[in-house]
Amino acid sequence: MSTNSKFVEISNLIKEYPNPYGDPFRVVEDFNLNIKEGEFISLIGHSGCGKSTVLTMLAGLNEISGGGIIVGDREIDGPGPDRSVVFQAPCLMPWMTAYQNVMLGVKNVYPHVDKATQKQIVEHALSVVGLADAMKKYPKELSGGMQQRVGIARAIALQPKVLLLDEPFGRLDSLTRMELQDVIIDILEREKLTAMIVTHDVDEAVFMADRCVMMSNGPRAGLGEILEIDFPRPRNREEIFSDPKFFSYREHLLAFLEQRSHIKGDTRVFSAGETLGFLNKEEIEEIQHQSEAVVA
Amino acid sequence: MKLLKQLKYSLLKVIDLSGLTFLAPIVRLCYGEEPKVQLQKIGQWILVPIAGVCAFLFLWHITSGSIQTKSGTLPNPVETWQGYNAIDTQAEREGLKKTSYELVGEERDQMLADAEDRLAEVKVQVAETNAAVTAAKEAVDAQTKELIAPLDKEYKELKSQYKAASKARKAVLVTDADSLKAGNVAEYNAYYEKVEESVVKTAQEKEELSILKKKIDKIREIKSPEVAKALLEQTFAAEEAQYLSKQIELLSDRNRAVQVETATGMISTYNEEFLSLTGKAAYDKARSIAKAKERLSKMESSSYAQPATIWYQVKRSIFCVFTGFIIGTAIAVPIGILCGLNSTFMAAMTPFIAIFKPVSPIVWLPIALIIVSGLIPDPDNNPLMLFLWDLPLIGEYKINPAFIASAVTVALCSLWATLANTALGVASIDKDHMNVARVLKLGFFARLFKIVIPSALPLIFAGLRISLGVGWMVLIAAELLSSSEGIGKFVWDQFNNGASDSLAKMMVVVFLVGIIGLILDRIMIVFQRMVTFEGSVSV
Repeated sequence: MSTNSKFVEISNLIKEYPNPYGDPFRVVEDFNLNIKEGEFISLIGHSGCGKSTVLTMLAGLNEISGGGIIVGDREIDGPGPDRSVVFQAPCLMPWMTAYQNVMLGVKNVYPHVDKATQKQIVEHALSVVGLADAMKKYPKELSGGMQQRVGIARAIALQPKVLLLDEPFGRLDSLTRMELQDVIIDILEREKLTAMIVTHDVDEAVFMADRCVMMSNGPRAGLGEILEIDFPRPRNREEIFSDPKFFSYREHLLAFLEQRSHIKGDTRVFSAGETLGFLNKEEIEEIQHQSEAVVA
Repeated sequence: MKLLKQLKYSLLKVIDLSGLTFLAPIVRLCYGEEPKVQLQKIGQWILVPIAGVCAFLFLWHITSGSIQTKSGTLPNPVETWQGYNAIDTQAEREGLKKTSYELVGEERDQMLADAEDRLAEVKVQVAETNAAVTAAKEAVDAQTKELIAPLDKEYKELKSQYKAASKARKAVLVTDADSLKAGNVAEYNAYYEKVEESVVKTAQEKEELSILKKKIDKIREIKSPEVAKALLEQTFAAEEAQYLSKQIELLSDRNRAVQVETATGMISTYNEEFLSLTGKAAYDKARSIAKAKERLSKMESSSYAQPATIWYQVKRSIFCVFTGFIIGTAIAVPIGILCGLNSTFMAAMTPFIAIFKPVSPIVWLPIALIIVSGLIPDPDNNPLMLFLWDLPLIGEYKINPAFIASAVTVALCSLWATLANTALGVASIDKDHMNVARVLKLGFFARLFKIVIPSALPLIFAGLRISLGVGWMVLIAAELLSSSEGIGKFVWDQFNNGASDSLAKMMVVVFLVGIIGLILDRIMIVFQRMVTFEGSVSV
């Protein structure tokens, strides 16, 4: 199987909000990223830097002010079931059971499929996330983690090209969070989905993704650094968490967030085990200088 | 044991759903759960309200006697309760009259015998009460006379005394006038003063007399409770006697079966006679037979023309309020949804909503009445009306233009709360839900029925609850003005009736309307709770 190295192509992406007292307020500027088919990208950065903005633009829920996004061979125009989203809140309809919540999308995306197949798709999606026994339950009867599982089932039941996860575990406790991380990893492994996750959690970003994409600080946030994670798949939590490489990746992300996220300009790519830890003042200034020089 | 526990939880759930939360401590107490806490709650939510009601009744009782109205004092709780009994008895008697009219065979004979026995008893009662009234009146009269006698005597004495005095003054003054010398201003002035003094004195004397007279009148006006009681008993007995003789009539001569029998007998006699007649006489007889047969067929299907009883009026009012409520909802919910979905449509509707919302039912009703009566000029021959009258269940309520106008008025006054709440509910849908809808690419109708309406339902129902409450208030006024058979008309009839217990009957209506309104509100609360989900917007 030949994988498309530009399955998702984000080029010169800009997001502006109108400012009544001056020039438009530019949140995201010149964001460029190509995602391979079947690749898992984690998007990390400081709060408010525009991570979620990029993701919602990719989902089509947020208008694009400039630049473009191509998914497959098509430029996106508005939301669609080919890019399904798992939101931070589960966003389930409280008046529908888990089954009905998942069925809502399936019915709409596969209107010509017969009822039995629709049912099969829904039941499969729910059993994949481990809710085979809770299909008839209403959201209020489910815990937060289980509700988010329904949200995941709803997203994967659409059989999307790209799965977008917008801080999906942000409101969950760490145990539940780990369980759900495994659920997602399993699904992606099996379905070979392309995915992007927005997260604040450094461990999560390293453990789940093939590439960590670090965004520089807003406003005018862009791509700061890209770190390739070369852990093999399938991934095992214990193995990875005890691997010394894990700690250097982790340190790289933390150091970026701490020291280098303010640097604007060229994107620095670190591939195949290459990492950068905490630096001294001179080294940071040099990087800054280089980045600005490339842009100029 | 497990079953008992289950029963407890279901009971508590029903209580919670129906909003009758004051019953929960009783259930918990029955299961011996924290008796101290439950008793405290019972005290707070059951005993305190009961004490409040008692205090209210007590205050009502002691103040009502001193509030003088055009038709006696304001009825106290006991009189109001008697008023209720009177209304209820009347309704019951009307029902019995109807059965009497339709009864046949042995049952009729039995009932007739019973009624006649009872009438004999009641006639005795009537005579007794009449005598009692006369006796009471005489006793009171004698008492009054005794009280009045000295005053009257004083009054008469004073009157003649003052009359004589006035006459004497006049005579003196007239003679004085003869000796006046023309041109002597001082003398004339002195004379004028004397006359003026005399006039003032006469006026004073008159005033004194009228005060005394008023005192006497007041004693005469005093209503003796014994007489009132005797009169009440007399009215009771007389009413029952009147009812019984009417019932006897309906059981004998005016009974449907009896009338049919008589008519059939008459036709057969006519038939015999007809066979032996010739010429014009034969024609006349044949015509009489045809007419008698026509009357007979009408008689067979006729029913007793029962006047509206209070319970019929209550049922018709409830039916009317729901008709108006449904009309209002059918208008308000779709428009509210459109307003919530589309701000342009909202902008277009805002002026209408703002102008029509504060309009009083008193203005809508005549307009509605004129329009509806214009559309249905002759209800007795209107195909729609005839169709409605033939329907099962609602046919007996005889929907007429006044009913429709009242319902339309209810709709026009009550739909605003639903409209505003629906628009708010639709406009304030969780943004996340809308995002989900966008990702799932739901079409307009799927979005409307799967997401918009379900999430707005709690607020829509909150609006419906307010609407029904407003509608019920408006309806009573609308019925009163349009003379549409219902509680409002009952009040109007009592107001125009002016019988001694009319006011008490109107006070009964206050409670009747209040209790029905409360029940309607409770029903809407249950519905509202049923559609409310966790985390929904509520008011």
